[in-house]
Amino acid sequence: MNLLISLTALGVVAMFGGILKFRSMVMPLSVLGLIGASLLGVYAWNTNQSFLNDMMRMDNYAIAFSIVCMAGTLLTILFFHFFHSENEIHYAEAVALMLFAVAGCAVMVSFTNLLMLFLGIEILSLSLYVLAGLRKKDLLSNESSLKYFLMGAFSTGFLLFGIALLYGATGSFATTQIAYQLGIAGMNGMAAMGLLLLMIGLLFKVAAVPFQFWTPDVYQGAPTIVTAFMATVGKVAAFAAFLRLFQLCFAPSKEGYQLVIGTVAAITMLAGNIMAIYQSSTKRMLAYSSIAHAGYMLIAVMTLNASSNGSILFYSVAYTLASISSFLIVMVVQQNRNNDTADDFNGLGKTNPWIAFALAVSMLSLSGIPATAGFFGKFYVFSSAVSDGFIWVVAVAVISSFISIYYYFRPVIAAYSKQTHDPVMTMPAGTQALLILLSLLTILLGILPGFIAGII
Amino acid sequence: MNLSGVLIPFVPLLGFIINGLGFPKVSKRWAAWIGCGSVFISFLIASVLFIQSLTGSFESTTISLFDWIVAGNINVGFSFFIDHLTLIMLMIVTGVGFLIHVYSVGYMHDDEGFGKFFSYMNLFIFFMLVLVMGANFVMMFIGWEGVGLCSYLLIGFWWKNREYSAAANKAFIMNRIGDLGFILGIFLMFITFGSSDFDKVFAGSSAFATNDHVMVAITLLLFIGAIGKSAQIPLYTWLPDAMAGPTPVSALIHAATMVTAGVYMVARSNILYSIAPISLEVVTVVGLATAVLSALIAITQSDIKKVLAYSTVSQLGYMFVAEGSSAYSSGIFHLMTHAFFKALLFLGAGSVIHALHHEQNLRKMGGLRKLLPVTFITMFAATLAISGFPPFAGFFSKDEILVATYEKSPAVFWILAATSVLTAAYMFRLLFLTFYGEYRGGHHQHEHIHESPRVMTVPLMILAVLSTLGGFLGLPALFGDTHWLSHYLEPVFAANTRLTEHSESSLLEIMIVVLTVIVIAVIWWWCNEKYVKKKVAPAIVEDQLPLWYKLSYNKFYVDEIYDRVIIKPLEWMGDFFYGKFEANVIDGAVNGLGRMTVWLSGQLRKIQTGNIGFYVLSMVIGIVLLLIYGLSKMNLF
Repeated sequence: MNLLISLTALGVVAMFGGILKFRSMVMPLSVLGLIGASLLGVYAWNTNQSFLNDMMRMDNYAIAFSIVCMAGTLLTILFFHFFHSENEIHYAEAVALMLFAVAGCAVMVSFTNLLMLFLGIEILSLSLYVLAGLRKKDLLSNESSLKYFLMGAFSTGFLLFGIALLYGATGSFATTQIAYQLGIAGMNGMAAMGLLLLMIGLLFKVAAVPFQFWTPDVYQGAPTIVTAFMATVGKVAAFAAFLRLFQLCFAPSKEGYQLVIGTVAAITMLAGNIMAIYQSSTKRMLAYSSIAHAGYMLIAVMTLNASSNGSILFYSVAYTLASISSFLIVMVVQQNRNNDTADDFNGLGKTNPWIAFALAVSMLSLSGIPATAGFFGKFYVFSSAVSDGFIWVVAVAVISSFISIYYYFRPVIAAYSKQTHDPVMTMPAGTQALLILLSLLTILLGILPGFIAGII
Repeated sequence: MNLSGVLIPFVPLLGFIINGLGFPKVSKRWAAWIGCGSVFISFLIASVLFIQSLTGSFESTTISLFDWIVAGNINVGFSFFIDHLTLIMLMIVTGVGFLIHVYSVGYMHDDEGFGKFFSYMNLFIFFMLVLVMGANFVMMFIGWEGVGLCSYLLIGFWWKNREYSAAANKAFIMNRIGDLGFILGIFLMFITFGSSDFDKVFAGSSAFATNDHVMVAITLLLFIGAIGKSAQIPLYTWLPDAMAGPTPVSALIHAATMVTAGVYMVARSNILYSIAPISLEVVTVVGLATAVLSALIAITQSDIKKVLAYSTVSQLGYMFVAEGSSAYSSGIFHLMTHAFFKALLFLGAGSVIHALHHEQNLRKMGGLRKLLPVTFITMFAATLAISGFPPFAGFFSKDEILVATYEKSPAVFWILAATSVLTAAYMFRLLFLTFYGEYRGGHHQHEHIHESPRVMTVPLMILAVLSTLGGFLGLPALFGDTHWLSHYLEPVFAANTRLTEHSESSLLEIMIVVLTVIVIAVIWWWCNEKYVKKKVAPAIVEDQLPLWYKLSYNKFYVDEIYDRVIIKPLEWMGDFFYGKFEANVIDGAVNGLGRMTVWLSGQLRKIQTGNIGFYVLSMVIGIVLLLIYGLSKMNLF
């Protein structure tokens, strides 16, 4: 709870930073605040406290995912700070919105009441709608924001309707009550409909096929740093909430809907990866890649067994590390070469060897090559599905991983085996060091995955 | 018994690392010290254990270092096993190995790859020690593969010569065939016993009936491995070609140690083989056929190392015949004496080759007796030993084998006895062509011939002593002693309840002694007539040769037959599959799949129109489908 309060307070302070003209303090304050909030989370480890009349519970699951989201936010804010220009008018407001968004994430991953779930999702979503339109005078940014809002509102309807139907079926918003009532009465039509509508709402939030339509347009139109934020923090929180809801409320009747999620996962992986192949813009390619990764993570939601929590957590960390650094590299390339096709990565290995290294590591991790964190992310998810007998889903996942190599390796090949006459790329100080740090973390987790995998 | 046994293989490994990483920065002097010293330390440790075993303060032990492969029910430990059989092998490998290392210091002195040579040799010793010390068949297999690798590296040591690297490839590939059998045998062991540990496998085998088909399969598969490594029919053709390597390599790897790995393996698995008499018969027949065939080839070869190579193949056949007759300890006995005299023969040949500046052709030798006195005397002792002249080492070990086969089958006995005559014949032919008569090389060379340096001749002398006296370790009852070696090895075979007892017939042994002496005297006289008085040199013009000579000289055309029957069809198949099948079918399918995926991507991306109305419509269709699917799955329709 302290964690949540401090996050919100931090957001408010950052917001006033813009009005009261202490911009230069905003970044250090936010970084310190996020670290402090994370420490509060660590302090609360194993305490398992409930708050607000049992509407949310800070268990280890909630703390772990809160910290992952806060770490992602911290990185985003740092990079946003590195890259912002002096005449960026809404610098402090953007940071504030990110902090509000992560507060929403903290609510989403700790709810024990469907109202809190809804509240958290809305806090996150509203912040993201605004962030997507951060470049007020950029048409694409505006389009992105509007599309996101319209389609988000559309899906929120399903979410709310699902909650309402569940309330009708069980008489409660509390997850314990819902699970209890469903346990007694079994799954009736109204509850099943509620479950499916909730599932649809959440599938939209995690951008699974056929609810992925908003993703490429929104991701491409939004400023790249915001895209990185949406693709990592937003997605991780949505998955954590998705899994938490189904673990708390619907785990006993999973046989009924497992195949539904499995089918969606399979289609999502295949479609996301196949569509990514044709993209010339690397940023848009990464948007499709994030759709594909949602498919992989859905496998863990589908299996819904004891190892699901740990494997989603590991996957989230691996995916966040690799995605943030790849979006950042795309941003560097965009700024230096005014475009982000694979050709714009030509000769990166010669001109900027460290950036090329970071690119290679993050792409290898995203495609799941061993000795990177991405490999173990996939390994944990796939092996729990295999042990539950979902061989066919894993087969589809492996095939689509093959396909993904085609497009993940394209910028890497360009960076190392093609020539360029363009000058060395320049970037704000600190960017390179941070990117190398992320790469090393990715490799470290690829060698010693036990650090995170068994923690919850 | 403490952990010091574990050090035995790892000291040479350390030598390999130092010389291998340090090459060529380590000076030749240091490379020699490190290379020889590391093997000597292993020899000392092994000797301490050996002496302990003689005084009775030694018990066979398993030393487990760590769990190595753990998967499902399978657990393979990285562990060593030391018993009396291991100790005998350790003494041979480190002792003979050390002498050959010392000899190499002189032989390889002018080679630019000196340090590299010693690092490979040390690596070989390491793997050979792992092979004989492994406590399970997987560990043995590691050593088995490792010595194969070192053999490959050392045969092709002078890799700039294409023929030599081809010989290295041949050895490696032929061994692969055998190794496949070996590893399949190990798999079958895992299936049958759930383990490859010696103790578990041997204990578990007692439940099987005689000639149980699983046991026959396991033993035959293991024997295929032995056929490859120990150069038996039909995989023996790599060993003569392996003579491309430096001569100390031939002595160490292709005579004294590595090629006897198969003999060691069969002796180690004696319990399994005793359950499968069918396999033992296969072992006997293969060994016998190999012994005869390669002796027939050896008698006409004109390359000094080729004669010795075929002789090695033939002697290995002897060892397998002994094991096939359940005389496992006799096989090991012959392995040991053979290690002494064959290493000596190779090193002596190396000394001759060294003196003649890399001339290996017997036709261009002769009359070297006076010029190379030490080499001559030591090789003379070795020739008497391999010919089985009493009381040299080879006599006693061959005698044991012959007696053992006579009990089993007189036919085998007579064939083997005839092969012994052939052995004496080709060895004395070699001796006479090299050392007697007149020098047939150029006059210019003649003046430059001189005896090898001390560092080479001292190992020769030590080995000569061993070749002369080594047989007394297994004196038969006729001569008053009681087979010390087979008693020493008794604990190894104690668990084998199906081992048949050997009786001894003094009459038979007296007959063997008398016959051997007469035969060798006749051969001596014959060689003297032919090579000294008539000055006959080996023929070169093929057309004038009698048919049997031509067949033997051309090694019965086995290489050519293999080429026609196996290699050519395989190459044809390779061409077909590479040229036709892969280019059209495989590439077509793979590239087609790729193109299809890319095409699909091009189609699929079109649904991403950017039009919100279309997006919402698509989502609604998706939602409806999902609801129908979900509700029907939950049986609510």
